[in-house]
Amino acid sequence: MTRKLIIIASATVTSLVAIAALAQQQDHDASAEGLTVLGEPVTMEEIAVGRQLYAESCASCHGANLEGQADWKRRLDNGRMPAPPHDETGHTWHHSDQDLFTITKNGVEAVVPGYESDMPAFEGTLDDAEIRAVLAYIKSTWPERQRTFQAKVTANDEDRS
Amino acid sequence: MSRHSYPALTRRMFILGSGAALGTSALPMALRAAVPADSAMAVVAFDGDALLAAGSNLIRSEDNGKSWTALPVPAAILGLATHPAQPGHLFAGLASGGVVLSQDGGRSWETRSRGLAEGEVDAVAVAAGQPDMFYAAVRGDGLWKSEDAGGNWSLAIDRPWLEDAERDPLALASVDLATGMGGIWIYAGTPAGLTRVPDCFCRWQDVQPGDAMDALVAGDTPPSEAPLPRSEPVRALASALSAPETLYAALPSGVWTSRDGGVVWSHVAQGSASAVAVHPADEKRLIAALDGVLKLSRDGGANWTTLAVA
Ligand code: HEC
Repeated sequence: MTRKLIIIASATVTSLVAIAALAQQQDHDASAEGLTVLGEPVTMEEIAVGRQLYAESCASCHGANLEGQADWKRRLDNGRMPAPPHDETGHTWHHSDQDLFTITKNGVEAVVPGYESDMPAFEGTLDDAEIRAVLAYIKSTWPERQRTFQAKVTANDEDRS
Repeated sequence: MSRHSYPALTRRMFILGSGAALGTSALPMALRAAVPADSAMAVVAFDGDALLAAGSNLIRSEDNGKSWTALPVPAAILGLATHPAQPGHLFAGLASGGVVLSQDGGRSWETRSRGLAEGEVDAVAVAAGQPDMFYAAVRGDGLWKSEDAGGNWSLAIDRPWLEDAERDPLALASVDLATGMGGIWIYAGTPAGLTRVPDCFCRWQDVQPGDAMDALVAGDTPPSEAPLPRSEPVRALASALSAPETLYAALPSGVWTSRDGGVVWSHVAQGSASAVAVHPADEKRLIAALDGVLKLSRDGGANWTTLAVA
């Protein structure tokens, strides 16, 4: 009994130390859990910037918690689709980094020619680094399964071009 | 947009009415006439090598159409799908609403509609690489999916928007070509032509020549296109599992085929086509309902033989 308790206690101390070290390491420009956007590692600072930009530029349609517009699988009366969620319940994680970047910068029509959509093109509103940061933030919210899936889609996309 | 009332009675009554005629002609085995396949014959399919044709009734042939067995159906069938990995499994969409599954080649059926919207199920499909993944198009509602062979259903996406209106898929086909989004395509035939959606259901979109955008950027001539005639409904669609870029479509002008996933189409059979299906292991072997009769082709539609009940 006593021995077991000691082991548990010391294990807790060790993990606390490890967590503290990790937190320090992830300060500022430390990379975020192996996450990349367009091949470049993402920093914690970038995610923080992206979170802010998301709140200002995307949340009004895609939801403050990335939950999308209500009833987003149903068309609006104008025939267009509502804004989908950007969390794991949506389909954002099915698109390669390059497609996500292109859609955000130039609109959906840039990847699906002739497609009509309410998604604005952010070219002129956000610069490339800001678009990157928003995508870094969105990607940082995904669980492991969605991250792994999307990393594969991105790798295949790079192979094609 | 989902719909709450729909004037579907005329079409359904027509199907049931003409189906009665089919029932009488399909049952007696002494008939010498060609197997009738007018609008009542909504769908055809292969179950392995067996031939299936269905409308208000279901008939099945194990000998390339020499003899037929009539089988009971719970209601008129509007959509029918099979998968070679599940021989004897028939997945059907009903004119009375809902979907049913047979696991014995069509002898008995069970309802598999939990969670599915009410309304006529005009078209169904089984995913090419996942025999338990079912799709169903509910008239006036949208495209639904089930990951457990019909055990539970959820909405995948609203109906496609073509020529300024929502359109009901009349036909669905899982086409085993990569979308670049980690999955494959689902093609749909509608009253306003062909469209498709990736199986992540991000959006309905036109079939585009694969490298058209790249060609435009590079200043090259974009690949040629020969779409299906715009003014016609696409009543049936089939993709060959053995060669997924090979597609067949049934239109009022006849049977059309594409060898490149639907960019360039050619007209292979004249006459009003209401249904077409392709053998799972031989992309040249077809069954179609043309001008009210069932026909078989063994060469991708160049030559056809009319099926008769011996
Ligand atoms: C005015 C509303 C609006 C705003 C603001 C907006 N979006 Fe969208 N977005 C949409 C709509 C609507 C769609 C769905 C388009 C469609 O399918 O027709 C969409 C789709 C997308 C998609 C494609 C998702 C997929 O899986 O296909 C991405 C990526 C996206 N938006 C990113 C962003 C980002 C990043 C921002 C902020 C910088 C943003 N959007 C701001 C309305 C908006």
